[in-house]
Amino acid sequence: MQEKDSDSEITARPVARGLSRRARIVKKLTFIIPVTILSLMVLIAIFADLAWLGFPDVRLAPYDPVKISLPDRLMPPFWAEEGSTAHLLGTDKMGRDILSRLIFGARISISVSLLVILITSFVGTVLGIIAGYVGGRNEAFLMRITDISMAFPPILVAMLLVVSMGPSFLTVVLAISLLGWAPYARLIRGETLRLREADFVAQARIIGTSPFRIMLRHIFPNVINPLIIIMTLQIGLLIITEASLSFLGVGIPPPAPSWGNMVNDGRNLVDTAWWISTFPGIAIALVVMSGNFFGDWLRDKMDPRLRQL
Amino acid sequence: MLRFIIIRLLQSVVAVIGIAMLIFAMVRISGDPALMLATATSTAEDIQRIRVNLGLDKSIPEQFWIFVTDVVQGDMGESLFKKQPVTEMIGAALPNSIKLILPSWGVAMLGALLLGVLGATRRDTFLDNGVKFIAILGQALPGFWVAIVAVFIFSVTWQLLPTSGLGGIDHYILPVAALAFFLLPGMMRLVRSSMLDVLDSEYIKLARIKGLPERQIIWKHALRNALIAPLTVAGVLFAMLITGAVIIEIVFSWPGIGWILVEGVMARDFPLVQAIVIMVAVLVLGINLLVDILYAYIDPQIRLQKT
Repeated sequence: MQEKDSDSEITARPVARGLSRRARIVKKLTFIIPVTILSLMVLIAIFADLAWLGFPDVRLAPYDPVKISLPDRLMPPFWAEEGSTAHLLGTDKMGRDILSRLIFGARISISVSLLVILITSFVGTVLGIIAGYVGGRNEAFLMRITDISMAFPPILVAMLLVVSMGPSFLTVVLAISLLGWAPYARLIRGETLRLREADFVAQARIIGTSPFRIMLRHIFPNVINPLIIIMTLQIGLLIITEASLSFLGVGIPPPAPSWGNMVNDGRNLVDTAWWISTFPGIAIALVVMSGNFFGDWLRDKMDPRLRQL
Repeated sequence: MLRFIIIRLLQSVVAVIGIAMLIFAMVRISGDPALMLATATSTAEDIQRIRVNLGLDKSIPEQFWIFVTDVVQGDMGESLFKKQPVTEMIGAALPNSIKLILPSWGVAMLGALLLGVLGATRRDTFLDNGVKFIAILGQALPGFWVAIVAVFIFSVTWQLLPTSGLGGIDHYILPVAALAFFLLPGMMRLVRSSMLDVLDSEYIKLARIKGLPERQIIWKHALRNALIAPLTVAGVLFAMLITGAVIIEIVFSWPGIGWILVEGVMARDFPLVQAIVIMVAVLVLGINLLVDILYAYIDPQIRLQKT
């Protein structure tokens, strides 16, 4: 399985002199394009407006994303017949500017994903390392919980939380995080199991290093690579999950723009105003695809063993 | 083997109790469920009545005991808005969901097997790249968006298929296709990669040396072993199936579990939502248990090594 990644397989063939020129360019592009898109999205999210710096009037988005303007409702994008350049991507049924909503939606989608990644990777790594290193009954128990968590649809947890706490940014983050640590725990535990038998860990143990220190100083630095890979690969999944929750009305509560609830806004208007649902859908697909490509690229670069992820 | 099954069964029972406690706690995070049910016009007296009605005036352990015994007896309470036993509502909606899920699962599984095997055996050809492209697209496009676009194209523009609701065969085509497309990429990737691993193994080489026809090697010798890997992620696939079904039911106004679930959430009908979550939890555990047993049956290493 180890030899299965494309690079090593090609070098294993005696005649091959690496990838062809075209293949190498394509490979580079699968890194450059996604990284550009992701960085752009992050910049857009940060500079959607500068209210957080104390300049509420300076903003990248042409309009206020929640400002309702009924005379301008259902305007098509600028290239359509009745479109105007005042609203580049048109307006929704309440006359809100789609482009501005997309820009502010990026902020919500990205901050939900980042927050969830931080929480879940921390919890998952701690549990994974402890389970893998300490082992025994606790490990078996933890792995049971991990299995169950991975098989439980996050949407249902979100719904339960929404029913009890009401929809909010926090509910979404909590709902996704509650199960989201499981893939980290599973992967990190596997890596720890492998590292536990390594010579340097045995040596550390012999000179009397405490288990806590071994886990922190000897095992943790060695699981950082797979950790970063899985974090990147999670971006796409989290964006989709957040969008699905918002689409179902259990995510970010309106009127705040989220790509998911924007698709939902346009759901019953696809025949007359296709642009309301289409653009946020494309935005989601772009970011998810970029995240997945970037994650794949990182994995091939850093740790091809993890091809199964 | 029996010992293994009994241990796993006990573990599952413990897990059910754990999940029940979690759900019980989650519903009460907000503090007082009675206030949640109160409307603007309810008086303090009304709220007190709701409290007594729900048993909220009792102590927490007592409440939990009542909750557990009710659930075990199949009494999930009454929907707050439909004023109907929750189990009846679920009973009415469940067949519709199954009618959607089963064919979609079948279509996705068949497609995943076919495309995954073709991708693996014709590696790096045009066909394989096509398969990879579908996988990338399918994982990046949100299911709900694909479904809406499909409705727009096939129902609104071309008017070939109905947009929503139950009905004859034509009502099934779009929802089943959309749900299958949602499930397909993950399964396909998995079949493809486990097939690649198996095709590399010694016994496949032996089969080739023996001179067996390639078709027999691939579809009989290799595929059979490649299918064990997807079994390990059956749990994850189940979670995807439920998620996908909820979304597709909403887009196509399909009166299944997902539909009443979202309605229940909108109305903050917590007995209904709670009952559905418990039902899915039990299903999740059941599937995990089944997969474990099946897996231990197939692979003796597992049942000997970790009990």
